[in-house]
Amino acid sequence: MPQDMISYVGRRIAYMALTIFLVISFNFLLFRVMPGDIENIVFGKGASNETKAELTHYYGLDRPLHEQYIIYLEQVFTGEFGKSLTVYKGSTVGSILSPFLLNTLILVGLGTIVSIWVGVILGRETAWKRGKIADRLGSSFFLVFYCMPTFLFALFMLTLFAKFVPGWPISGAYSDDYYELGAFEKIADRGYHTMVPLFALVIETIATFSIIARSSLIDVMTEEYMLTAVAKGLSGHDVLHKHAMPNAMLPVVTVVAMNVGWIVSGSIMIEAVFSYQGIGYLQYRAVMGYDYPLLQATFMLEAIAVIVANFIADIAILKMDPRVRI
Amino acid sequence: MSWLGTRSARPLRKPALILTDSRKEKARLLVKSGFQVWRLYRANRAGMLGLVFLLSFIGMALLAPILATHDDPFSITWAEVNPQYEAPSLKFLFGTDYYGRDIWSLTLWGSRASLIVGFLASLVSIVLGTSVGLGAGYFGRIADEALMRMTDFILVMPWFPLMIVFTMLMGQSFENVIIVIGITSWPPTARIVRSQVLSVKERVFVERARAVGAGSGRIIWRHILPNVFPLIFANTILLIANSIFSESFLDFFGLGDPTVISWGTMLEAAYEYHAFSSFAWWTIVAPGLCIILLIMAFYLIGDALDEVLNPKLRRR
Repeated sequence: MPQDMISYVGRRIAYMALTIFLVISFNFLLFRVMPGDIENIVFGKGASNETKAELTHYYGLDRPLHEQYIIYLEQVFTGEFGKSLTVYKGSTVGSILSPFLLNTLILVGLGTIVSIWVGVILGRETAWKRGKIADRLGSSFFLVFYCMPTFLFALFMLTLFAKFVPGWPISGAYSDDYYELGAFEKIADRGYHTMVPLFALVIETIATFSIIARSSLIDVMTEEYMLTAVAKGLSGHDVLHKHAMPNAMLPVVTVVAMNVGWIVSGSIMIEAVFSYQGIGYLQYRAVMGYDYPLLQATFMLEAIAVIVANFIADIAILKMDPRVRI
Repeated sequence: MSWLGTRSARPLRKPALILTDSRKEKARLLVKSGFQVWRLYRANRAGMLGLVFLLSFIGMALLAPILATHDDPFSITWAEVNPQYEAPSLKFLFGTDYYGRDIWSLTLWGSRASLIVGFLASLVSIVLGTSVGLGAGYFGRIADEALMRMTDFILVMPWFPLMIVFTMLMGQSFENVIIVIGITSWPPTARIVRSQVLSVKERVFVERARAVGAGSGRIIWRHILPNVFPLIFANTILLIANSIFSESFLDFFGLGDPTVISWGTMLEAAYEYHAFSSFAWWTIVAPGLCIILLIMAFYLIGDALDEVLNPKLRRR
């Protein structure tokens, strides 16, 4: 088994690397091949021909496609990602990314953990009390939040906090004087700023995971071995935790893995609404300012994050389900 | 223990075998099975609730010119006449926005954009997904390999960023929003269709059809597609909900068509002009609630249809 496992993980890593390389190439092609004269969009219709020619040369758009591709690959692997056009005019995208990346990782990381944890617990409780008041109430709440676009809930939260909790920071990932604070105060300041966006981010994924955990658990409960467990006199707690949950968790892990992309998408909306300085916010500004290199870089980071998350989930399933044959 | 022994909802009665060549007889049987589906559907309370919601929204979209209390609600010239951020009143049922426009009238007109995008984008998506799935499943080998690798590739991409990038590159217009949502949301459909085609094409009646001399086109069109259809039908309804969600998101992100009234652009305007700091909650609640209710309507209908059409898949 361990030998198989190593070779399986190795193969998955190779496959993941290939996918990431394809994403990088796709990212290049997308921005070169799509309809619309990129020079016109990038430099605006009003630019004179000379400025255009100069800028085209500056950004390397006048070279043949394969040369551009090689330059692009070089930029990606050195972490430069080209020069920002409008948002951070002139500086390389790579040099401004890291604080944004950290902020997003905090938000998305915490969001993933909280929504899995709370979602599974809520799903378990409602499934266990199926048909009773608690289940009906819970299920309708899930449904409402499941159908509510994340940015909409964020807007509601923003409005409510602006009115009823006037002192609460509702924009940004930290205060303006963040860099003058001590280490402990920094964490407190971040926590203070992250709480509301985090809540707005997880509410929809909690609903999604609860619905899935609930239906998966209900499926498991109709199995014959559940009847056996009850018949041999196990307590309700043991039936739930030792027999139902381990089996019900597998589909949940798969769905959670599929939904990591969803959390990333949600974080874009949240960051845009709360001006939380993360990758999604950067992307929002790139869209607003028609900053193509910046958009390209943020898109690539998001795609790679999702691919890596899927890989981790695959390995987790392998660990959790002894039946999975490699 | 209430959950023990609760098996599936009452399954569909086995459809009558269609053994006739008469068109009239076939039509009669089709109508009969349609009624059967409707009878089962009607018993599903959540599904009926969704249907009522959806019909109200369609009515709203159709009657918008009559129900609207202000003509040409989108024009920004209202700023000279109406007060800014006026709270809901009899004159302005849902209040006014930053430009003094009547939210009630805007909300009515906005339902058109959401419904049109919802239906057309899912049509694009379902046609693409079904074609890819049919091609991959039926022809197999290289076609299967190539199409499915492509599907997987798009499937691993985060969906919203992909839509953002596509819309940015194609330019902002109403048609492009529909196209972008369509071409980024087909992979799940393709997977579902493919797996179903793989099982259907091994059935005896396909072999019989081939033995009699039917070509691939006829087999796909007359024998495989009808058997795949119930499965994608419920999926399509859910896809519409997704498309409406995506449309509102793209609009909100500033990627929608600025000349079209939609709930997403209304929300964008509310955010852009800081409606939240003047506590103009009506500018957010009116379009927001409509988005939620419309998405929920499709979700409930899709769920109910899934239960009626594909009872075998659900054991609950």
